[in-house]
Parts: sequence; C-alpha cells; structure tokens
Amino acid sequence: MARFVIVFAVVLGALFAAELTPPVQSAFVIPWTAGLVRLSAGLIALFDPHVATFGRILQSTTSGFAISIEAGCNGVEAALILVAAMLAFPAPWKHRALGILAGLAAVQVLNVVRVVSLFYLGQWNVAAFEWAHYYLWQALIMLDVLVVWLLWIRTLPRAR
Amino acid sequence: MDPHPPAGAVSAAPPRIAALVLRTALWLVPCFAAWYLTARFHGIAPGEAARALVAMLKPGLVSALERQGSDLVFVTTLLVHPAPGETGVLVTEVNPLLYTYGLPLFVALMLAARASAWKIVAGAAILLPFQAWGIAFDFLAQVGIRAGPAVSLQAGVAGWQAEAIALAYQAGSLLFPALVPVVLWGAFHRPLVAGYASEQTAAATGPRLGSPPRSQQ
Repeated sequence: MARFVIVFAVVLGALFAAELTPPVQSAFVIPWTAGLVRLSAGLIALFDPHVATFGRILQSTTSGFAISIEAGCNGVEAALILVAAMLAFPAPWKHRALGILAGLAAVQVLNVVRVVSLFYLGQWNVAAFEWAHYYLWQALIMLDVLVVWLLWIRTLPRAR
Repeated sequence: MDPHPPAGAVSAAPPRIAALVLRTALWLVPCFAAWYLTARFHGIAPGEAARALVAMLKPGLVSALERQGSDLVFVTTLLVHPAPGETGVLVTEVNPLLYTYGLPLFVALMLAARASAWKIVAGAAILLPFQAWGIAFDFLAQVGIRAGPAVSLQAGVAGWQAEAIALAYQAGSLLFPALVPVVLWGAFHRPLVAGYASEQTAAATGPRLGSPPRSQQ
C-alpha cells in the first residue's frame, strides 16, 4: 500500500507539473483540447448542423450558447490520474501499456459524452449546466477512472 | 497496494464491479442532493480551516470570514480604490462547493461498498484539509494573481510565490476534490481492491488460502 501511494503520488505530481508547463501546454494540451472540440462538434453535427467551433470554443449557431473547453474539462487530468495509478500498481509492462491505451480511450469517450451533454444542457438551463459541469460530471469522470482501474487490475496475472 | 492479500485478509468474494458501480450511481443521487441542500452548513468547517491555512501562509491578510448563502466571503485587509477619492477593503468570494463535491462521491462509494459509519465519518474528516486547501488557494490566487499587481503587491505575492500559489490552486481545484475521495475509498477497502486483483488467479486455479473465492463475474 505504501509503495503504491508513494509511486502514485510521485508519478502524478510529475505528470501534473509537466502538464502545466508552457511547452507541454502548447505541444500537447492545447492541440488535444482543440481536437476534443472538433471531435465533439463532428459528433454533434451528425444530428444537429447548428454547431460551430472556434479553437477551444463550441458554439450553437441557433441559440448562440457557447462552451469553452478548459483545463479540467479536457480529460487530461483524469487521464494523468489513471496513468499514474496503472504505473504505480505492480504489473507487467505489457499489461500496463495495454491498460493505459484502453483506459485512456474509455476516459476520453466518457469525456466526449460530458462535453456533448453539457453543450445541450447549457442551452436548456444554465443552472443545470453549471451544476452538472462543476460538480456532477467531475465526480462521474473520476468514478469512470476508478472503474477502469478496477477492471484493469482484474486482468492482471499473479506475480511469481 | 498489495495485489496479493495475506491469508485471511479477504473473507468473501468482492462484489461485482458492475454491481458496485450501479449501487454507487444510485447512492450518488441522494448524496448529492443532501450535500447541495446542506451547503450552507458543511462549508463552514473547510472555510474556517482555509482561513487558518491562509493565516499561516499570509498572516494578517484576512480580517473576517463571512458567509453569503453557501459562498464564503473573505474580508481582507487589502486596500482598493474603486473610484478616485474612494478607498475600501478588498472582499473576495469563494464557492466552497467547488472543493467539497468529493464528499457526496466519497459517501456514495462507501455506502455502495457497505462501509461502516465510523469509516465514513473518518473519511469525511480526512477530506477536510484537502477541501480547505482548495478554498485557501482559490482565495490566494484571487488576491495574489487575478486581482492585479496593485493588490498582489499589498498581499506580498510576487515571483516564485505567485507560481507556487498557481500550482497549489491547480492541484486544489483539478486534482484533490475528486481524486482524494476515491483514494480514501481504496484505502478503506484494501481487501476489496486486493480481491479484484486476485480474481484472475482465483478463476484460473480455484480458491486457495489467502485468495478470495471465485467471483460470480
């Protein structure tokens, strides 16, 4: 337990600090966030053509309502937590790599659902949007991280 | 975490993950409702703890802590000039719910795992300093960074201190609120987590001493 907590804290601290640096922001976080906006807009456009994107902003061309994907909404922190938890738990590297790939996909899929749902929730009711945005979805994304991690450790072989 | 529990550490098969998630989701509804409806009250303790933390880091910066609904209002000793000839003190608001929403998540997870009441109370107490951290550094980020150089100069925040406050604020807002409850849940349920880690082996080799019985998954 102690080893897990220490490695988890160190890895997460290093990843989180690195994420906040300008080079990582410009090389990864900002392009990633813009990609998330475009992907969300592409999905929305399948059934609703009244959507436009401007950088990290997703806007309804009918209501004018717009959301800006900021830190905490792009799924990066949740991904870092999952990566740190998988690196800290004793497991073969092959299982770690596969777990990280599959886990990141699972977290990002739910994050796209969050963005799309908030986009429509905000057009319906701003108070409900803020409640879901600031509190509920944050908890659900972390619950997703926990579930993915628990599913992953179930697949691990016993160490010899 | 030790994936291989000692003999006797796990006495029963862990609940199915799907069942655990479903129970957590069901408990989230009343937990979030109770948390939101009692927001006026449960923000007091982390608010006072945040005030104490700010007093340790920047003595004399806060003269009073008031409440406006569920919001915390920090009355500072910093002077501002809203108009020519006018002088007042800077008052900043912090929404404590941004830093305490992990409480209903934690309680829902604990109830879903059928944890005992003392563990839930102990966990809620352990969450308190992390909530206070978020509130304190939200306030310090407002006065030390976002309010502009005239205010940050009075607050004595510059250079590395501003960087440290920014980093602490990011950790307090992006990581701690949701992460700490989940980590606490794991710490309170080590045998359960170890049981999930052992399931693969148990399924392959059958039950053995120190391993949980095979799950129904």
